[in-house]
Amino acid sequence: MVSAITLAIDGQEIVTQAGKTILQAAMEAGLYIPYLCYYPGMKPFGACRMCVVEVENGRGTPASCTTPVADGMVVSTNTPQLQDLRKGITELVISEHPHGCLTCHRTDIHGANLCGPEDICLRHVSVTDRCVACPKNERCELKDTTIFVGTGLTTPLTYKYRNLPVLTQDPFYDLDYNLCIVCGRCVRACEELRGDSAITFTDRSGISLVGPAHGTSLLESGSEFCGSCIDVCPVGALVESDYKWEKAVENVSTTCPHCPVGCQLKLDVNQRGKVIRAIPELEADANHGQACFKGKFGLDFINSRNRLTTPLVRRNGSLEEASWEEALSLVAEKLSGYRGDQFAAIGSYRGTNEENYLLQKFARVVMGTNNVDHSSNIKPEMLEPLGEALGYQAATNPIWDLEDAKCILTIGTNTSEEHNVAAVPVKRAVKKGAKLIVIDSREVELTRYATTWIRPKPGTDAMLLGGMLRVIVDEVLEDEDFLKDRCENLDALKHSLWRFDINKIEDITGVSQDDIRLAARTFAENSPAAILYALDTVPQSQRVDCVNALVDLALITGNVGKPNAGLYPLRPGTNDQGSWDVGCVPNLLPGYQAIDDVSARAAMQQVWGVDLPSGRGVGINDVFQSVSAGNVKAMLVVGDSPSFSNGDLGDIIETAQSLEFLVVQDTFLTGLAQVADVVLPSVTFAEKEGTFTNLERRVQPLRKVLDIQRTESRPDWWIICEIAKAMNGQGFDYHCPAQILDEISSLIPFYAGITYQRLLSKKGLLVPLLMPNFPLPSQLHPSTGGQNAGIQWPCTTPEDEGNSVLYAEGFPSGKARFIPLEMGEAPTMTTADFPFLFLPGRVLHQSQQEMEIVVAGQKNHIQRDELLKLHPLDAADMGINEEDWVEVISHSERIRAKARLTEEAFRGTVSATFLFGDLMTRLESSEDPDPMSRVPRLPLTPVRLAKLEA
Amino acid sequence: MTTNQDDQTQKIGEALANQSARTVTVLSSLLAIEDAIGYIPPRAIEQVAAYTDSTINDVWGVASFYTNFRFTPPGEHTVEVCWGPTCHLLGAQEILQAALQALGLSEEGDTPDGKISLKYNTCLGACSQGPVISVDHKIIGPQALGGLKGDAMVQRIIEIISQLKTGASNA
Repeated sequence: MVSAITLAIDGQEIVTQAGKTILQAAMEAGLYIPYLCYYPGMKPFGACRMCVVEVENGRGTPASCTTPVADGMVVSTNTPQLQDLRKGITELVISEHPHGCLTCHRTDIHGANLCGPEDICLRHVSVTDRCVACPKNERCELKDTTIFVGTGLTTPLTYKYRNLPVLTQDPFYDLDYNLCIVCGRCVRACEELRGDSAITFTDRSGISLVGPAHGTSLLESGSEFCGSCIDVCPVGALVESDYKWEKAVENVSTTCPHCPVGCQLKLDVNQRGKVIRAIPELEADANHGQACFKGKFGLDFINSRNRLTTPLVRRNGSLEEASWEEALSLVAEKLSGYRGDQFAAIGSYRGTNEENYLLQKFARVVMGTNNVDHSSNIKPEMLEPLGEALGYQAATNPIWDLEDAKCILTIGTNTSEEHNVAAVPVKRAVKKGAKLIVIDSREVELTRYATTWIRPKPGTDAMLLGGMLRVIVDEVLEDEDFLKDRCENLDALKHSLWRFDINKIEDITGVSQDDIRLAARTFAENSPAAILYALDTVPQSQRVDCVNALVDLALITGNVGKPNAGLYPLRPGTNDQGSWDVGCVPNLLPGYQAIDDVSARAAMQQVWGVDLPSGRGVGINDVFQSVSAGNVKAMLVVGDSPSFSNGDLGDIIETAQSLEFLVVQDTFLTGLAQVADVVLPSVTFAEKEGTFTNLERRVQPLRKVLDIQRTESRPDWWIICEIAKAMNGQGFDYHCPAQILDEISSLIPFYAGITYQRLLSKKGLLVPLLMPNFPLPSQLHPSTGGQNAGIQWPCTTPEDEGNSVLYAEGFPSGKARFIPLEMGEAPTMTTADFPFLFLPGRVLHQSQQEMEIVVAGQKNHIQRDELLKLHPLDAADMGINEEDWVEVISHSERIRAKARLTEEAFRGTVSATFLFGDLMTRLESSEDPDPMSRVPRLPLTPVRLAKLEA
Repeated sequence: MTTNQDDQTQKIGEALANQSARTVTVLSSLLAIEDAIGYIPPRAIEQVAAYTDSTINDVWGVASFYTNFRFTPPGEHTVEVCWGPTCHLLGAQEILQAALQALGLSEEGDTPDGKISLKYNTCLGACSQGPVISVDHKIIGPQALGGLKGDAMVQRIIEIISQLKTGASNA
């Protein structure tokens, strides 16, 4: 219990908690104290001295951002002496900061620029430091603060311009250190908020600045290009290079479409209706003010000129523009001929709950088939054991719970790239002393933070986990109380473990007994412990075993149903959780009702008014085989998906050509759309409403950021409804997604209390609740929480605030049920043509390998020789010597690398670790309209090697 | 080619491992390396980061803060001219000007041929012998030069420096 403290600030009595600083207490009470280096959420720093106050009976003028509150304190924030001090401080700060913007008589009292487009600058400032040349013009905290404290600029333009070059060579970032005030927010954001260290303070005294080591490039310094430093920069020193000088006329908060973390982003819109900037919401519960390279720099596809503008219909072999009426009636007419299992519908990687609900309703009600799925559902095995053992097929705990876990186990997940913001609390936990066990044959960023990094032979992950369980049982490390009260079937599990002999496991997995024991003990003895898994490295036949073992591992150590513990399945698609919830899968009706459950089907038939098909349909993993076999003849595909192009599903474009009728709804003319018979243009996430359910079960709203402009494209939900209505489908008369969500809530008990209105009523960040006269529009105002929170299901009534931790009050079926394990066999993952398994890795920084930054086309690039690690015996077989150049050939790619022979490599595997910076330069120069949705992943790939002659 | 680099890596590794500092820190590690090889090459930043379990950026922050660390190889010989208060009063300026002129430099730095690095030093700790310079960490002043003083001493010092430049062994 934190004790309450009463203090007086400017005569106002304030009750706050011990441990707060004066600045925080004042802000929360609605009193503003000017600040520059302080930032909500960061530790006190006290560099700028702008927030000085006077404390009665105290010495001097302490900085309020570093002074803790004390009972009975009497604080003054605005005496004449303090005002003078602050004026002096701003004068010092701006003595090296170009500030023509502050001294010009063409600015009004709020600092707004009154220059017209034809006006000639009257200040005779050199072109580089004119106010319009500053990327933060009119959203600069320094400018606002200087005006606020009333610094009379009697001697204008006496600043010293540092004449440093503006750095624009790095991807996505523009750095202008002439504007830097060395407040250190960026350095601290990188370190404290992100758990990284990509920039530091360089040099000292008058020439001190911020920047990467050696002062060259962010590419080599370990930057993950998350943009956090840009978000906190109070001036124009660090900015996004795209739309750098654009001014926002509006900003709307919405949900990022790139991954299932569901970051809340504030999107800035300029007067021409373009989304110019994304700033993560500081107080959103899903992302706590963080975003990643995808959300921060990967939304320009909204503004693309290559978007589809009208429906396209295939006439005489080529796609031609058509009207909506024509396209829809053609679709309706054609699809009518394929009712039943000849038809399949594939929902979007980014489909909202409403759209995916409608799609499965369309497939089941109108088309009479269970052939419906969403395109990212390529690993359904990740979830099913969770439902079986625990109750819900979902992550048990919220993302930011991870920050206070004592142990975190990750398996087969490249979290820092694919669910970037979820890796932030993991890194922060490690900084606080948590143990991180990484099980991955690849070298990924989290392996650099790992306390224990275990590299099992590919395909043996499930056996390794079985071995860990065996150690826990043998050494009696279970959580006995938890087992006794809340679990059943433990004996069956223990019985199944007798096969998991540790000697045998050591043999199979290639992991030493010591390491297995160490991992097991670390996990069991550091509670609470959480598990993150994506099963990227686990072959299909092993996935169920693997998840079974993970569930058992969490249960046996008592890590379910309590904070900072639990299981986190990390799926690829933005709304995979929601798509499952609303039944956009071939085997489940909305609310996880099995399709073969007669009573569930009957209940649904009552609501939808038609007989429903029974029997599991085909899903994303088997639909293209069904197409090849001629069973499925017509398809409706909503949205493009990485699964269509990354090889997971084979060459689907060619298969799709054998369809008799293919309808694609998409924003761009993608590969699949090009072979479609009808292409219906759909809008992006920014132009529609709806909801996404993120990986922690948080239902969050999509707000309409832009009106649909210059195009006839429509939201996917509207398109599906129109097709259904054209085919005389009943129950598709919706006028807005909120209405569809109401239907979903009425059908799914754990969504019952969720309405669109409830989600929207939690307003965006920059609406100060307590401070109506908040003086500085450019500074963030920390409110008292509850903003952009979304609602975590289960939420059963309109009053229910949702549940962040599942099973805290018990399991739905009374007790959790252990799943006995089977000792499977490691599958062969190579072929005769490609006899080696390639383990690719990617990290931010690799100190062991020489590299160089070269500038080409005005951009920085990494130049270095890649190293291919392989076993000396394999190398000898191939006649490869150390340092020989080798080509690694897979079915789709060729990579050249220098051989590095090491006994650490498993026989039959080769590995190489690439640099993230390299990926960034490629993404920035990509021609793809939406490159961030196609960030190359790191799949284990069968390859062959060819020695190259020097 | 690689052997030189490996050699340096090894030297840095040894310097890190054999530190005499009671508490090993980033700073003590950087000092040990500068002592061993005369400067902090980029690889040393990496090695210190690995050795002290910090990051290259943290190490760079420390290294760039202290002006005594140099990041390019020093000349073959180091000449430091003391310009502390005592030496200053005893005539350091004359030595300094003469040395700069003899080396063809306008301020502290390296001669273009890479033979000599000239540095200013705020105190070499030999005030009683002032004015002094140090050549490759050996103090040279009136006492070391057998009681020479004034112009004669300056001239002798310049001779010593010039000998370094031509490669002849120093006095």
